[in-house]
Amino acid sequence: MAMDPNLLVGISMVTTGLVLGAIFALTAAGVTIVYGCIWLPNAASGQLFLLAPLVLWSFTIGFGIEPVLAALLVLAAGLPLAYLVERLLIRRFYDVPDRNISYFVITLGITQILSGIFSLTWGRWSDQYNVPPLAAGVTFIGPFPLPTNRILALGCALTLLAALFLALRYHRFGRALRAVFQNREAAALRGVDVRRVYLGSFLLGTSVIFAGGLLYSMAYSFDLSVAWSMGIAAFAIMIVGGPGSVLGALVVGMLFGFVQAVVSVFASPTVATLSYLLAMLLILLLRPSGLFAR
Amino acid sequence: MSELLLDARKVEKRFGGIRALRAVDVHQSPGETLGMIGPNGSGKTTFVNVVTGHLAIDAGSIHFAGGPIAGRAPHNITRAGLTRTYQAVRVFGRLTVRENLRTAALSAGDDSLETAEHGRELIRWLNLEQRLGAVAAGLTLFEQRRLELAMRLLLRPKLVMLDEPVGGLSAVEIGRMMALLAELKSRYSLFVIEHTMRVIRELADRVVVLVSGEKIADGRPDDILRDDRVIRHYLGGQRA
Amino acid sequence: MTSADSRRSRMLWLGGAALAVAVPLAVAGNRFAAFIVGIVFVHILWTAGMNLLYGYTGLVSMMTAGIAGIGAYVTTNLVMSHGWSFWLAMPVSAVGAAAVGVILGLPALRLRGFYFVLSSLVIQSAVTLVFVYFPQFTNGDTGITQIPHPRLWLPGEGAVELKGAAFEILLGLLAFAGVGIVHLIVRSRMGAFIMAIREDDLLAEELGIDVTRYKVLVFFIGSLLMGVGGAFYASYVGFISPRSFDVLVSLNIWLMVAFGGRGTILGPIIGCIILVPIPFVLQDLYMLKDIFYGLLIIVVTVAMPAGVYGTFLQRRRAREQAAVAALETSRRAAERIAAQ
Repeated sequence: MAMDPNLLVGISMVTTGLVLGAIFALTAAGVTIVYGCIWLPNAASGQLFLLAPLVLWSFTIGFGIEPVLAALLVLAAGLPLAYLVERLLIRRFYDVPDRNISYFVITLGITQILSGIFSLTWGRWSDQYNVPPLAAGVTFIGPFPLPTNRILALGCALTLLAALFLALRYHRFGRALRAVFQNREAAALRGVDVRRVYLGSFLLGTSVIFAGGLLYSMAYSFDLSVAWSMGIAAFAIMIVGGPGSVLGALVVGMLFGFVQAVVSVFASPTVATLSYLLAMLLILLLRPSGLFAR
Repeated sequence: MSELLLDARKVEKRFGGIRALRAVDVHQSPGETLGMIGPNGSGKTTFVNVVTGHLAIDAGSIHFAGGPIAGRAPHNITRAGLTRTYQAVRVFGRLTVRENLRTAALSAGDDSLETAEHGRELIRWLNLEQRLGAVAAGLTLFEQRRLELAMRLLLRPKLVMLDEPVGGLSAVEIGRMMALLAELKSRYSLFVIEHTMRVIRELADRVVVLVSGEKIADGRPDDILRDDRVIRHYLGGQRA
Repeated sequence: MTSADSRRSRMLWLGGAALAVAVPLAVAGNRFAAFIVGIVFVHILWTAGMNLLYGYTGLVSMMTAGIAGIGAYVTTNLVMSHGWSFWLAMPVSAVGAAAVGVILGLPALRLRGFYFVLSSLVIQSAVTLVFVYFPQFTNGDTGITQIPHPRLWLPGEGAVELKGAAFEILLGLLAFAGVGIVHLIVRSRMGAFIMAIREDDLLAEELGIDVTRYKVLVFFIGSLLMGVGGAFYASYVGFISPRSFDVLVSLNIWLMVAFGGRGTILGPIIGCIILVPIPFVLQDLYMLKDIFYGLLIIVVTVAMPAGVYGTFLQRRRAREQAAVAALETSRRAAERIAAQ
């Protein structure tokens, strides 16, 4: 049976929209949790998003480690690194009033460092990166063929999103996190160890960003520029959705994912990035607390 | 037109669901010293914030020296002759005393602190001569309050709103501050928020009492301080 | 200021002007070193603008390189595609860049703190995207090459290309002028107001200062300096691309001011002299500069917010204040003794 090409494009758009949307949502959730809790706007989120799959590539292609194991290794290695950063750079500002600007500048510095490291290393080894798939081949949803890896990525992303949402709502740490979001002093009075929550949210947020990067590499090939486009997208989603609002990150993330999928068919993906920037600017000027303000 | 210096009518201010100011009427004539008292959180500072343009009102009107000021930018309201001091004293901490004063003088339109009208006189009267080179954050609280006052007076105001001017001062300093304010009375119209009743009794010509955003009394200090409602809502337990 | 102080500062200014001429002449034989000197001078002009915005007014703007880029691209287009003289194109594009800077920055200027920084970053990103995706004006990522040097009309010789030490001297005098303009502003009434805005913008507003108006003014002047610098950069280097004016460049201009010493006249100059030559010195490993600059950004923010020169001044002031305080204490003690 001949496939109507328009239908194929349409299906592709929808699946891409779903996959991208879920990954956008996940990554933006990671960024917004850290901002809402510690007041840390992570300008380096794009570079971190790229770091995870690059290391994964080195582990699998370079060292021949089995992909799933390698992915878990990447996530595990991220934790002590994040802890180090929190200990050395972030903790000292917890009681400073205007710390979000200092944090922003520090993370811009980290962005530059990582960008430089990437140019010197992975940037020289390859123009484009492909991580070996966890599941090969193609699955058929009805009559439509889709790369299995991509479906797997979507499934994982949605699962993680659900887990994150439920954890924030029902798990003890999640509730502590939300209490600190709302009112740090009140939470402290209720016995919440605010500093531990800060550390925990930073570790959680960073891990989520890494997970987003890993899942992205499962679904698509990538190059170094994804750091910039993802960084802008994640920030835009956080601002438009409302800083600190995970629900906002989910909804706006999905929306932006679909925008990207649709735009990429008709024009350069950069048009999508421009639209994110525009949306971010509009929200900043007209409704700075975002669409889903707490 | 009205001869009132400050004419606030039916001022409403809401924060979310809370009515911080409920249909508040405040009238002050030129040359009069008006006191405002009330429990913590009753809306006194909110009233000042609203009058000075830092917060927008939800209803009502505010006129100053005959002209409407509700909705105008704070710097324009200051230019019209209305200044205020802060509960927690507010000066430019990292600048020196001289730089602080110079900023105010320049804003008032003078070319420098030295040529400012009454500039030298103010510095001497408020005892800041020895401290001109010191960084403001290094001053004692009393010195900072005097600096804050000097800066506002350099702006050549018609009305100075003082938010708890003796807050945090020792007994001796309170006495000295009151002497300063007594002299100020003769040259400027003052609006004083205070918890220390001694200040109100000796300085205020009239007193307005605010409780939970509502004005419950308005009259002469002696009458107010003996008023049953005022005593019930506020004075039971106040410093005399 | 005592007469000794004013004499000393006059000497410093004369010295600065003299160096602007002497240094290029000294390195005239070594084109590599001379080029570094030229680029340092351009950065001194740029950081003068950034210092006005950030050091004196407290506005952390991350769109300065974008504005410089507008100045560069407009000048280049006017000269190369429309045959304008550089000397007409440069001021026109500088004013244009400043106008764009104000129009884009004005809504953001009403935002406070972090939201202003973020807005400026968004605008910078958008400007870079425009540079890349409007190749009819910018030649996209490939960039524009063979940008001609400005031509001067000399009596008896006709149109002479400005190059070599003469160009570097001009850049040096330009840098000197830029720093001088900022200095004059800082000493004026406007200077007192913008520093008040930097310290506490709400208090400044309370004291009758029109905060928005001064922020806009500072933004305009700062953008003007960025635009002029951009125009000269293009004609000096001969090659520009969107990478020359992207967000990392804005960030590094901020770093030169912050590392050198924000809110001082000498600080940004010191920052430029130390930091600008680094990528040149690194040669093939010039990408290490990103790692180095990034580390410095973190170090400055965490440990040295006043910068190199700023910390030096702070220590000196602390010693003076301690001396003043000691004097005050002994004066009061003496008074007490005398009163007995």
